[in-house]
Amino acid sequence: MKVIKVDPEKCTQCHTCDLWCGIEIGSVTKELNDAIHENPQPVPRVHVEGNNFPFHCRHCEAAPCIDACPNGTMRRDPETGLVYVNEPTCIACWMCVMVCPFGIIAPSSSMHVAVKCDRCRNMEYPICVDVCPTRALVLEEREEGATWYGFAPGRSF
Amino acid sequence: MEFVQRKTADRAVEHFLKEASDKEIPLVWDRYEGSLPQCGFCETGLNCRDCLQGPCISHPFRDQNKVGICGKDKDILGVHSFVRLVVQGAMGYFDQLADFAKAVEAGEGSPKRKKEAEKIVEDIRNIFGDGDADVMRKFPKVLTDGWKATGVYPEGISRTLFKLSQKLDGGIGNVEDTLLWAFKGALAGCAAQMLQGRLKSAVFGDTSPKDMEVNLGVLQKEAPNILFYGHFSPLLKQKIAESTKGKKIGVMGVCTDPFIPPYSFAPVTNYGSQEIPLMTGAVDLIVAGDQCVNPSLVELAKIWKVEIVSTEILKRGDLSVFARQIVEKAQEAFGARSGVSKDIPAVKESAVMGFSQKDMDVKKVVDAIQGRKIKGVTILAGCNNVKFTQDHEIVSLAQELLKRDVFCISEGCASVSLAKYGFLNPKQRETNCGKGLLSLLSSLGKNFPAVVDLGSCENGGVTDFLLSMVSAGKKQLKEFPIVACFPEANRTKAVARAAWTVAMGIPTYFWPFLSVTGSQKTIEALGGFCERSFGAKLHVVTQKMEYKEKAELLMKGLERV
Repeated sequence: MKVIKVDPEKCTQCHTCDLWCGIEIGSVTKELNDAIHENPQPVPRVHVEGNNFPFHCRHCEAAPCIDACPNGTMRRDPETGLVYVNEPTCIACWMCVMVCPFGIIAPSSSMHVAVKCDRCRNMEYPICVDVCPTRALVLEEREEGATWYGFAPGRSF
Repeated sequence: MEFVQRKTADRAVEHFLKEASDKEIPLVWDRYEGSLPQCGFCETGLNCRDCLQGPCISHPFRDQNKVGICGKDKDILGVHSFVRLVVQGAMGYFDQLADFAKAVEAGEGSPKRKKEAEKIVEDIRNIFGDGDADVMRKFPKVLTDGWKATGVYPEGISRTLFKLSQKLDGGIGNVEDTLLWAFKGALAGCAAQMLQGRLKSAVFGDTSPKDMEVNLGVLQKEAPNILFYGHFSPLLKQKIAESTKGKKIGVMGVCTDPFIPPYSFAPVTNYGSQEIPLMTGAVDLIVAGDQCVNPSLVELAKIWKVEIVSTEILKRGDLSVFARQIVEKAQEAFGARSGVSKDIPAVKESAVMGFSQKDMDVKKVVDAIQGRKIKGVTILAGCNNVKFTQDHEIVSLAQELLKRDVFCISEGCASVSLAKYGFLNPKQRETNCGKGLLSLLSSLGKNFPAVVDLGSCENGGVTDFLLSMVSAGKKQLKEFPIVACFPEANRTKAVARAAWTVAMGIPTYFWPFLSVTGSQKTIEALGGFCERSFGAKLHVVTQKMEYKEKAELLMKGLERV
């Protein structure tokens, strides 16, 4: 199973990944100049936080969000192993938001669904990996037994 | 993200693209593809680097990151992006003007019309201080009164550009106020451009339409070629041309003013393909000024053993000595480079360039508009932009407009683009123009091509033409069916130019979209607010359009009156 690997040493916090995720995945219009004016505001699935780290879903092997979901909305694709939200059945109870150990899942109050990275499972290539200017994001085969990639870097200014 | 499909419409340029890719020589198109995807925040103007606390962005999709550290929100960021472009662009005109006026003042060049030159230099001194320039009184009183009422009437550089540049550093101006400052700065740039043109006429005499040849085929195989790149002192150009007298040396230009009477420098190519002349191997020396000169030339020139002399250096010394040195260097280089193989494509097109409003009966143009013989006037301006197929947009747009009986005028690099495809060749006008336009052109004169070139972007040829339309038609500019169009813009000067054209009351269409689109308020202000203040909009078009749709858009603009 291929997952997105993050190299925090290369990340410059330019927010290009979450901008394009918002356009390509989150928006209705899919065009930069239109998406940025959309209302409700598109929700990107990836978000860059303080320590040079874009947060993506790790698609955990034992996924707490799937266990917590009361009606099977949070699912795992049997073929690819990717965890995704089946939006039509989401009741916006936010249990998944609460249990996610990485804080990946965002409640979209305007759409009344939980929103989360599905590694662009319907696309050939994840958009964030495609647009990352420093190649801090790469698509890699997950090692056996590992649940997530990347590490908290020792920062020096 | 957009990828370029076809790089250029120019077959002379196309000839070298394969060679470049075989030899792995990176050209502008490769560098563009390498830079994709371009930063979305910068593209939409939602970024700021104006202080050291940043860089800041206004993230369109993140609530905790909507305003910059100092509190600039997306609207201020958008309008500041516009200001940044306008300041830089207007300064470009002032830079050239200062250089030229200083030298004239110092007694270089022995002006043809001395009294006039002195008067213009005096005026230039005013605009570099805090006085207003006399040259602005050439505009109709209604227009200048309007500008005074809104406060955009340009005063000296210190009250316009210095103030404008400080808007970026702080203050509490809203979108509309800041935008007005930008227009004030742009109009100052307009004054500088007009002064440069007038000083040039006073020093060298008036230009007249000239038969020229354009494109790579003009390079000489058997003699040294000196190429002027970008903008630098007209006096230096004159001196270089003088020093080549009696010698078999070709002096040509790229992105530079081709006319310094009595000399003219054939345009070898235009902005988008400015690297290509080097690939012919026939260039022996490049004299490069500032603006419009790609730094990439330095590396490319090494491959073909070409020296580049910069004119904008800290210690230039005496112009005549400098010019002589340049010519000597070119002769030496020609000898030393005899081993370099030359490949000059036999592609050239004749063109008549360098008209001014004095060379045509503007009354006839006005009458043709009133008699509905033509649909209106379109100003075609701007250079090339790697985001579009080189020359394709401007050429196909011109073709559409000419067919529909629109009188097209152009300037600068836009003229060179059009000249390469025969639009400036009077012999070809019949194939391109509609009936009404054709009868106007033939009444204007035998040597009038389909598109009339009004000189370089350094001089205010287009502005002078517009002013003569006002006096011939006894109407305000906004009452005429005139639009301006930048189909392949890229320089900051073009943004300043677009802004002052709007301030004159002429609707302006700009491609690619300006980096203000992140702010709905700024887009609206450039539309509705400008319409209310000046009677014209600056159209920021974000939708993808074919050239036919663009032509429709321009026609709609012409039909407004």
